[in-house]
Amino acid sequence: MKAIRVERTGGPEVMQLVDLPVPEPKANEAVVRVAAAGVNSIDAQFREGVFKTPVPFVPGQEGAGVVTAIGSGVKCVKVGDRVAWSGTLGSYAEYVVGLAESKVPVPSSVSDEDAAAAMLQGLTAHYLCHDAYKLKPGDTALVHAAAGGVGLLVVQMAKSLGARVIGTVSSEEKASFAREAGADEVIVFTQTDFEAETKRLTGGKGVDVVYDGVGKATFAKGLNVLRSRGMLVLFGNSSGPVPPVDPVTLSEKGSLYMARTTLAHFTATRDELVARSGDVFSMIASGSLKPKIAKTYPLGDAAQAHRDLGARKLTGKLLLIP
Amino acid sequence: MKAIQVKQPGGPEAMELADLPVPQPKPNEAVAKLAAAGVNFIDVYFREGRYKAPLPLVLGQEGAGEVTAVGSEVRDLKVGDRVAWVGAFGSYAEYSAVPADRLVRIPDGVSDQQAAAAMLQGMTAHYLLYSTYPLKRGETTLIHAAAGGVGLLLTQMAHNIGARVIATVSTDEKAKLARAAGADDVILYTQSDFEIETRRLTGNKGVDVVYDSVGKTTFEKGLNVLRPRGMMVLFGGSSGAVPPYDLIGLAHKGSLYVTRPTLMNYTASREDLVAHSTAVFGMITSGKLKLRIDHTYPLAEAQRAHRELEGRKTTGKLLLIP
Repeated sequence: MKAIRVERTGGPEVMQLVDLPVPEPKANEAVVRVAAAGVNSIDAQFREGVFKTPVPFVPGQEGAGVVTAIGSGVKCVKVGDRVAWSGTLGSYAEYVVGLAESKVPVPSSVSDEDAAAAMLQGLTAHYLCHDAYKLKPGDTALVHAAAGGVGLLVVQMAKSLGARVIGTVSSEEKASFAREAGADEVIVFTQTDFEAETKRLTGGKGVDVVYDGVGKATFAKGLNVLRSRGMLVLFGNSSGPVPPVDPVTLSEKGSLYMARTTLAHFTATRDELVARSGDVFSMIASGSLKPKIAKTYPLGDAAQAHRDLGARKLTGKLLLIP
Repeated sequence: MKAIQVKQPGGPEAMELADLPVPQPKPNEAVAKLAAAGVNFIDVYFREGRYKAPLPLVLGQEGAGEVTAVGSEVRDLKVGDRVAWVGAFGSYAEYSAVPADRLVRIPDGVSDQQAAAAMLQGMTAHYLLYSTYPLKRGETTLIHAAAGGVGLLLTQMAHNIGARVIATVSTDEKAKLARAAGADDVILYTQSDFEIETRRLTGNKGVDVVYDSVGKTTFEKGLNVLRPRGMMVLFGGSSGAVPPYDLIGLAHKGSLYVTRPTLMNYTASREDLVAHSTAVFGMITSGKLKLRIDHTYPLAEAQRAHRELEGRKTTGKLLLIP
């Protein structure tokens, strides 16, 4: 089979298209023929060696496809099932093997591309809006990087839950994407101070929740725009890590809550993973959630996909099609 | 009238018994003749000058008594009403003028002394368990300083909710008090490590919520005993302030939540103040909540009351009786 392999860590050019044997499943594993593989910044971090794994390795953690073989102990999927996954290294390939438990069923009304695009970012948006801070009709949410991969999905989910959404973006072009996704207000933070503007937009009251995947550049001001007893959910730090926080800040600014979350803790059991992904797929099937797929690439163009991802010029998901 | 006044910040001797005119109510105030005034650590901080207020200052923020005069704008209180309050200066005195919207009526079945003792600590325990983290039957909570003023009330209320209470205390004598208040498990943190012991007691699962008024010496280990997505409620710092904390620790330890609430914030609206005080008075009336009022002092002995409070020789509530 064809696969992308990293022999030594480095730039996009270290990813080479190679021929490898189709993998065989261990007792608790399933082999999937990959229909679409998601391209994520975590893949670039493995490629660069920021995250460590033994070389050579096949990168990629997310995808969708059809089960072609299962191990002797596997009960949760069978050959022929359409499935999707995240967290299985080796997805930049025609076939990938991994724990059967991490494969979730994909309904026929959801395409392979949408399923692959929704796993990491869609599930993240889902746990943020439904669990980390459960949005209610009438709540107001501030969503940073609202035109980003997770951001666009958070905006759509927050709207479908009946919340008012204020989004921050870096450019007018991204502002139009955030508006298309349903944002009620969009702040171009390169032109307008988001703290002052959010206070103005909420009549000085502040927002119920801030969803912050940006971190260093936005965290402190985010606390300032929360209503009394509001919650800041920090789920990433694309601008750098947040410096240590004095807890008394939370009381001074109004008995605030803060969480620092990761997807793994919100998909900790098979039941939770299947329920959450099932929910996301239903939203896609019903049209209330539209993953934005910016571009698809043949498997052999993985290096170009990583260059495009790094340049941050494209809005939406990048997929490899083996 | 007699009142305890601080002219210069300092030790207990900075408190002088003075003769002052009975205060007259401003239009939005009522004047109450005090039956009992609560003695709290915050009074010590104002006496020492650690917290600032204009001098000379009549100390004390908590009390109960009978309305003797009302301002021209006050509609829902009349002379003779029994009332209690917290958060208004001037309670170490025979009479105190208090904003009428901070006064709550004391129901029959609750004595003046009980009301004075319940306002700060009782409402604190109540908002922590019913608003900050609404504790549910079947959940497990770790309560630090469980034999302290707030701790004993938290333990009783949490037990009544049907939660499992793991309590930390410093001595065998305090362990008895915590058990009598309803703690299921008591850890003498001076003899065993509360982190290891809490893990053992929960079968390594961790607790749903930690209520921590101790701060510096307990905070980080408290995070280590939370279940994934559990909450740390930090509401004081009797051992010192918690140093600035790197939030990535919350992600590594299980997508944890932290909040730093204050009573002022949770009783800022009249609606919240009445809701919390009514609920606490109801628990006292029905006998579900037992206050320990072991130490009463004549007003003139405020210095002795402060010495004993600071010496931590007392358990339960200290009251001045003007």
